[in-house]
Amino acid sequence: MVDHIQMTRFVGVVPGSWGEDAIGTVLAALQSASGKDAGCDLLILGDEGIDQALGMAGQAGIQQVYCVTSEGLSGRIEPDGAAMLASKALNEAEQPGISRLILTPPGPEGEELAARIAFQIGARALGRCESIGFEAGQVVATRSVWGGRKRLKLGAVGRLAVACLRAGKPALDPSRPAAERVDKPVSVNLPGTPFLDVESTGESLPPVESAKLVVSGGRSLNEEGFAQLEQIARKAKGTLGGSLPAVDAGLVPVVRQVGISGKFVAPELYFAVGISGTPQHMAGVSPDARIVAINSDPEAPIFGMAEAGVVGEWQQLLPEILDALEG
Amino acid sequence: MEILVLLAGVADSRFPLHNVSLDRQGDLIETGQTRRILGPFDEGALELALKLRDKNDATRVNVVVLGGPNEEALARTVVAFKPDNLRVLKLEPYRPWDAALTASQLAQYIRSGSSLPDLLMVGREFGDLDEGSIPLMLAGELSMPLFALAQYAQWQGDQVRMMRERGTTREWLPLQSQPVLATVTNDKRNKLRHPLMKNVMMAKRQSIEKLSQGVKDSSGMTAIALSEPDTAGRSVKCQILDGSVREQAVAIANYIRQAAG
Repeated sequence: MVDHIQMTRFVGVVPGSWGEDAIGTVLAALQSASGKDAGCDLLILGDEGIDQALGMAGQAGIQQVYCVTSEGLSGRIEPDGAAMLASKALNEAEQPGISRLILTPPGPEGEELAARIAFQIGARALGRCESIGFEAGQVVATRSVWGGRKRLKLGAVGRLAVACLRAGKPALDPSRPAAERVDKPVSVNLPGTPFLDVESTGESLPPVESAKLVVSGGRSLNEEGFAQLEQIARKAKGTLGGSLPAVDAGLVPVVRQVGISGKFVAPELYFAVGISGTPQHMAGVSPDARIVAINSDPEAPIFGMAEAGVVGEWQQLLPEILDALEG
Repeated sequence: MEILVLLAGVADSRFPLHNVSLDRQGDLIETGQTRRILGPFDEGALELALKLRDKNDATRVNVVVLGGPNEEALARTVVAFKPDNLRVLKLEPYRPWDAALTASQLAQYIRSGSSLPDLLMVGREFGDLDEGSIPLMLAGELSMPLFALAQYAQWQGDQVRMMRERGTTREWLPLQSQPVLATVTNDKRNKLRHPLMKNVMMAKRQSIEKLSQGVKDSSGMTAIALSEPDTAGRSVKCQILDGSVREQAVAIANYIRQAAG
């Protein structure tokens, strides 16, 4: 196993413009896959957020960060442009005999980036993984399948593989110095911005991926219940999330959907109201997150994962919680 | 407008999972009572296609249902929505965990038609063993521009506009003359309608066209093992908060305050 790690570079890829949390999730994935800091590189696409990335990467034990830039690059980098930049940089930096396991941020955009990179560089697309390791000369990855009801272990031969790994938060040592910046300009014809009509959704709560507190509801709530959850989130400077059935019912927008097919959240506290705790939903909540739950069903699986909970009706509890927060 | 909808189906989560295992070659064996139904993303893709046809007589909705367990029943469910054409496509080998292989098989089938569809719609995840890579790699295989995570589509004049929300913005993409692949996510605006009972009855009698698509497996990815999910990592002893509703609320509010800092 050690030999394979020594022959493998672990490469994190993330557009700097995707923010601190995306960078953090990639660093956590690198640490998890490599066994902390063995042979890791970080590619930051674009120079937005690069100083922050250098600091975080250094604290995570990475010595060099490659800043991939191209002429005409500005603003937020979308997955298609990001994949072109990363693929070009990865192809130009190819080293004979060295395998590379490429990791992108978890979540829908990171997964899109992973698939696009895999297609462009001809790598194995491992997809959204629970764990990654090496066995008998190949990369092995486990994925959650059939809605979290089974785990599938996959083996991939070849020198290049791309994956998303949901590993929570990175271990950062503030005493470590910032990583060294290595500029890596590449020449690519970035895709033109598609002609999009853009309007505001009126959303004013923070995104779920980066919140310290996620107040989340399930299908058993109604619009009034979600309005109360939103008030709690605002009062406690947290944010609002929801399950897939709640999104289907129009109670919460899909950008706030937490779960295996939605966003991956790593808050300090996940306040789950009317959420039963299915594997599909809990796959979107970091194992590091503390959970407090309200559910009317004492047998709900969420009570096997929550630090504290109340078996009760949200209609009675939510107004009282709001009142208690005001007091 | 020619719309092609690819539907994979998922195991019905309201029932225990049927028996699944791997043979010595790493191929999937599915036995027992399989209940494959349309998943939420399949439903979204189909509904958006039907909505576009509702408003434009010149629009045709063609559907491909992925072959496999329970394929006949799944296909008849879809026939009840009266697509203009429906085929069941069996992939050989069938390795749905391998996005590159599956996308290549689907692309080969689609390219075998006289032309690419104007709009190719696929749920954001293609079945129970895909985590979203298959539609993305299919767009690459077909060199089609991708509009990911579409939530809604509508006609504006003679042009289709597709919508998605990202962060605090809502983006509308007017489709130009070039074929586009759109992955569709769940949204209240694309909840699948109920079919008419007469169409459900008609679907039971309709013959279903079945095809297969092979492609040489050169992807280098194999399924090694299937196991039960690991839930031990999350298992904690929950403190059930008792007392009056007020006392329970105060205790929860304290947790929230601590997290808020």
